[in-house]
Amino acid sequence: MDIEEKEIGFSTVPFGPQHPASGHFHALLKVEGEMVHELEPHPGYLHRGFEKLMEYRVHPQNCALVDRADVLDPFSCELGYTNAIEKIAGLEIPERGRYIRIIMAELGRILSHMTWIGVLSMVLGFDSANKIAWGDREKILRLNEIATGGRLYPCYLCVGGVRRDISQEFVDETSKALDYLEGQLSFYDYFVFKNETFVMRTEKVGRMSAKEAIDLGATGPNLRACGIDYDIRKDEPYEVYPKVSFNVITRDEGDAYARSLCRRYEIAESISIVRQLLNNLPDGAFRVELSPVWAAPEGESYFCLESARGEKCFHVVSDGSPCPYRVKIRAPSFLHTLSEFPYLAKGSTIADIPAIYWSLDSCPADMDR
Amino acid sequence: MINEITSLLKSKFPDSLLNVVSEDKRITLLVKKEELHQILSQLKDTGFNHLSDVTAVDYIDEQEFELIYHLWSHREKIRAIVKVRIPRESPTVKSVVDLWTGAQMHEREDHELFGINFEGNPNLSPLFLEDWEEIPPFRKDFDTRKYVKEKYYLEEEGYPVAKG
Amino acid sequence: MKKLTPKVIKSKGEARAWSFWVINYFTACGFMELLPWVGSGYDMERFGILPVPSPRHADVFIIAGYVTKKAAKRIKMIYDQMASPKYVLALGSCPMTGGMYWDSYATIKRIDEVIPVDLWIEGCPPKPENIGHGIVMATNVVKGGFEGH
Repeated sequence: MDIEEKEIGFSTVPFGPQHPASGHFHALLKVEGEMVHELEPHPGYLHRGFEKLMEYRVHPQNCALVDRADVLDPFSCELGYTNAIEKIAGLEIPERGRYIRIIMAELGRILSHMTWIGVLSMVLGFDSANKIAWGDREKILRLNEIATGGRLYPCYLCVGGVRRDISQEFVDETSKALDYLEGQLSFYDYFVFKNETFVMRTEKVGRMSAKEAIDLGATGPNLRACGIDYDIRKDEPYEVYPKVSFNVITRDEGDAYARSLCRRYEIAESISIVRQLLNNLPDGAFRVELSPVWAAPEGESYFCLESARGEKCFHVVSDGSPCPYRVKIRAPSFLHTLSEFPYLAKGSTIADIPAIYWSLDSCPADMDR
Repeated sequence: MINEITSLLKSKFPDSLLNVVSEDKRITLLVKKEELHQILSQLKDTGFNHLSDVTAVDYIDEQEFELIYHLWSHREKIRAIVKVRIPRESPTVKSVVDLWTGAQMHEREDHELFGINFEGNPNLSPLFLEDWEEIPPFRKDFDTRKYVKEKYYLEEEGYPVAKG
Repeated sequence: MKKLTPKVIKSKGEARAWSFWVINYFTACGFMELLPWVGSGYDMERFGILPVPSPRHADVFIIAGYVTKKAAKRIKMIYDQMASPKYVLALGSCPMTGGMYWDSYATIKRIDEVIPVDLWIEGCPPKPENIGHGIVMATNVVKGGFEGH
């Protein structure tokens, strides 16, 4: 019996806000059969008007609020806000405070990448790697608790340094945790990154060239996977990065597998950075004491840093009062989700959509603020 | 390299550059609104191929918005900040979507939160808010605490208690 | 030879309490402390709790974190599609009174206005031990025959 070929029309499929693979983000896919023709993003399910809320609070309150701007990498937000304010006022932070800040920031980067390994494995159907990665993440949350008292949103950095000193117990536990994680990396290589199924599901998926990536506004590991070595820790160094030595990881292919490998090798580099800083930790003060209603002088500043997702910048305008006049957070996930994801989804199949989305490592709370 | 860029811009746009500040790896320019698109196009040809951000600040006392474009050059590793002032009454400016594709979403966000109109942007529909009927929320004359206290809280014994 | 008698489940409350299926809708910053429960840190699967993708299969709706006005409509739609008996757990201080974003123009301050809540767990975000305590309380109440609002 001959089967007639009928015309398959277009249909709209929601990649909805309630979906195991989408975070809290909504997209409408225009689909013909299995091929995606267009993707229309609808963000806004997590919008709080963050930058407006910060205009009503003084600086210590803002330091507690701002680490919820990127829920998967809170230390980078605190680092950006405090550095921007200190640049306006011309404050000099003691050396020990700077070292502690970057130790916590790099541990935050490892935490974010472990969460990312878990989520990407879950959407590719690899549940075991998900459970193991989210179990290993507990080691770093335990370190946060020893140093700051809070597991996830510690509000540890303040304008002038860090709130408390780190103890010898923290230094010992960190060394043990870093040894454990370094051993786990070879396990993840064997179990996830060299796994035939993982490679097949991510190789040649979501590919972009270097020129397209720059035009769409990509930063972070997404851009470094296309061959451009843009890392703010090397190009516009801040805090103590000139004193540590590390490599910038780039690859050439520009697909999902290249992005995954960039992040995996970045974990190894971060472990090396933290070890170097712990070995050379200076003694002395860790904080410049300021009153809670301390006001920065009039002026504005623009501070850029490299978070786990990409280029995060804080533009702060101060008018001489204890509350800032305007704060703008340039979130890396904004362009990853709203500019690169629709471009990469054109021409792919429905089954590849979660793999493309999570290989770009975007956080919906960071996108909406 | 920074001196070459500033002298090139000063020779091509002598009337539009109001203020130029050069630091170690950064140039900050304050320009007039009329030749903004040409200046940005010239900067892109000189090598500033990455548009980081398009920001707006509301200076309500001077009745002006300040639009700020942050650019980065991958080749020379220099940052350029271009500022322009537009009147607050009917804020309109030409869009830069033809130069950088990523600018479309930044301009859409500024349109929704500040009310600035970008001519040439293909899609300026609301991004974050649904059924929003007040003025654009990031303007300085929108008091978010007053709005929230009226809508969601009852004033009992001098402090707000959530309605429910 | 000793006779082995199996444990008999005596009531439907007990059967329900050992298989809470949670709808896979994870909201906001308060959700981050549920990740150890999903992963192998605290592992909720040994209590019979699984995340499921469809509202028709779920018993429990966990609202972890703040809820915006845009998301509130969708939460009501999902809640209406779940089949009785259904339970709602609210985690964190944001669904209770507004929490840290009390002065935000885009969030709703009490999730009570949208759907009825059975258990409130405090914290910002609540630690995993707090959430475990809440789950144990919910299990005990459901064993006693509670069938939700």
